[in-house]
Amino acid sequence: MPATAASECPGLALSVTDLRVAAPGGRLLLSLPGLDLPAGRSLAVRGPSGAGKSTLLHALAGLLTDVEGAVRWGETDLLSLTDPARAAFRRARVGLVFQDFLLFEELGAEANAALAAGFAPASQRAAIRQRARSALDRLGLGGTSGRLAASFSDGERQRIAIARALAHDPAVILADEPTASLDRAAADRLIDDLVALSREDGRTLVVVSHDPALTERLDQSVEIVDGHLREGHHA
Amino acid sequence: MPDVFWLWAGLPTTLQDALLALALLAPGLVAGIVVLRGLSPWPLVRAMLGRFSAANVVFVALIAISVGIGVGLTAQERGLRQGSALAAEKFDLVVAAPGSEITLMLAAVYLQPSDVPLVSGAQYAEIAATERVSLAAPIAFGDSHDGAPVVGTTADFVAHLSGGLAEGRLFETAEEAVAGAYAPVALGEALTPEHGHGPTAEDESHADFAYTVTGRMAPTGSPWDRAILVPVEGVWAVHGLADGHAPENAGRIGPPFDPDYFPGTPAVLVRSDELWAHYGLKSRFTRPDLMAFFPGTVLAQLHVIMGDVRAAMSLLAVVTQVLVTVAVLAGLMILTRIFARGLALLRALGAPLRYVFAVVWGYSAALILVGALAGLVVGLAAASVLSRMVTARTDVLVSATLGWPELHLIAGFVSLTLLLALLPAWSAVRRPIVPDLRA
Repeated sequence: MPATAASECPGLALSVTDLRVAAPGGRLLLSLPGLDLPAGRSLAVRGPSGAGKSTLLHALAGLLTDVEGAVRWGETDLLSLTDPARAAFRRARVGLVFQDFLLFEELGAEANAALAAGFAPASQRAAIRQRARSALDRLGLGGTSGRLAASFSDGERQRIAIARALAHDPAVILADEPTASLDRAAADRLIDDLVALSREDGRTLVVVSHDPALTERLDQSVEIVDGHLREGHHA
Repeated sequence: MPDVFWLWAGLPTTLQDALLALALLAPGLVAGIVVLRGLSPWPLVRAMLGRFSAANVVFVALIAISVGIGVGLTAQERGLRQGSALAAEKFDLVVAAPGSEITLMLAAVYLQPSDVPLVSGAQYAEIAATERVSLAAPIAFGDSHDGAPVVGTTADFVAHLSGGLAEGRLFETAEEAVAGAYAPVALGEALTPEHGHGPTAEDESHADFAYTVTGRMAPTGSPWDRAILVPVEGVWAVHGLADGHAPENAGRIGPPFDPDYFPGTPAVLVRSDELWAHYGLKSRFTRPDLMAFFPGTVLAQLHVIMGDVRAAMSLLAVVTQVLVTVAVLAGLMILTRIFARGLALLRALGAPLRYVFAVVWGYSAALILVGALAGLVVGLAAASVLSRMVTARTDVLVSATLGWPELHLIAGFVSLTLLLALLPAWSAVRRPIVPDLRA
């Protein structure tokens, strides 16, 4: 599949301003004066455990409630939306990948990948299922759609999770330590797939990871330490 | 309002029952339609059912046992009432010496051994001679054979009771007998009666007397199916009494009896060809030296008395179901917490709250519906086993079948629990997403 030209990019630009996230007790978890990522580009978020990387990812997905500042995806100020509107935004524009896959083990690969079909409008369900099958094919899992998720290796399960993140054709993919549960070979293959699929389709990609092999492949990188932005560079 | 009442009263009973079942089910159905409309949560419901299959089986079993107890009790109680009423159907009017109507009914209709005062020959002759009495059959009990009661009566009563023999012929001499449908004797077999019943029966007291079985009755669904019916003259003779006939009529069986040679009988079954005449006969023989009663009426009074027990049983069934419902609800709350991560994932992916709500409710509904259906089967199976046990012990044909009361019970239970299942679903969508994702 040819790379999408920048002008036709379906990704969304990210703009974070004065983001502050506090724990229920008031302890500051994350303070980010500003962060920008052009549409269709990729960003690695590095940092030690407990530094606030996943908190940033959750804030970018609109999953946190007590947040100050602004998180803009394109023209949408995510933090100004109500909870149902944020859910609708994620449903339409965001694909999520988690460290430990979070698959429904009793469902088949395709059923997991097409999970969004269950809560999408009836008119979109067939398209979601078709894209889920297509994504599984692209990820080398074609012909395994009926196999239960529990029967796949960790690397394969994470690829199913990526297919799930792509099935509703999102503009943004947010991945939280996607290679942390994988061995080196599986992690390398997953990195290739994740980066290639995002670039080919021009999606904006934000990945939280400790894995240098992954973070070095992305366009931008930032490090978070103790909830604060330490440094950044462009690849 | 009165119009609605009369409209309702004018509907066929079956339609009333069906509408009541629908009305009971309606709240749960409406909840289901509102919750599930336009959504397709079933793949995830199947996943939840498969995830903790052992726990799910326990929940289904709990619901099934709860529903089964309710269904079994109501079906059994109704079967028992219908069976006992059917057994008394052929006994239009019983006339006996004054005493307990219930004791006499149990003895004469259900063949439960009991010592009762006797109707004299003169009294019997008066009863038999009364206008509109078409059948006046003495019923003399007290002997047994191989556990089966041996009852003395007349051939006319045997014909009336059985409505025709299944095989053989009626008795024609004092030494012949007709077996009930399930009596433990074969056609042509000679049997010696024992004095009394059960373990205290005296084997040798009538050793010099034998009856030969000449016929077998068709099943009646009453304790008489296990009885051996003999001419009342045989019973009197075996006890060394006069045989009801003057010496010049020696060897005769059946009415008319000679009052001077009539030793007495515990009860007389009286029948008239005109239904209305039974009321007049009852009135006529209700006096200081006799009592007359309709077994069906006494049975109905007994059912009224037993109604309190029935209410207690129903209350117990309801309490059991409420307790199980609460337990199931608590269990669903716990299971929902176990599934919290998966549900948080759905919400993180952007699933509307309504969808997550529908998944949890659908899961609960699946357990409830499968449990209720299993309970129906369990209840009917238990009632069937109990019926056979009661029939074997009493010979009253008890047949427990599925009826509207059971369907109403299940409809009410399902509807209530489907409504209560909204609580765990509501609880699930109120949980925070991120802590559950990290759990």
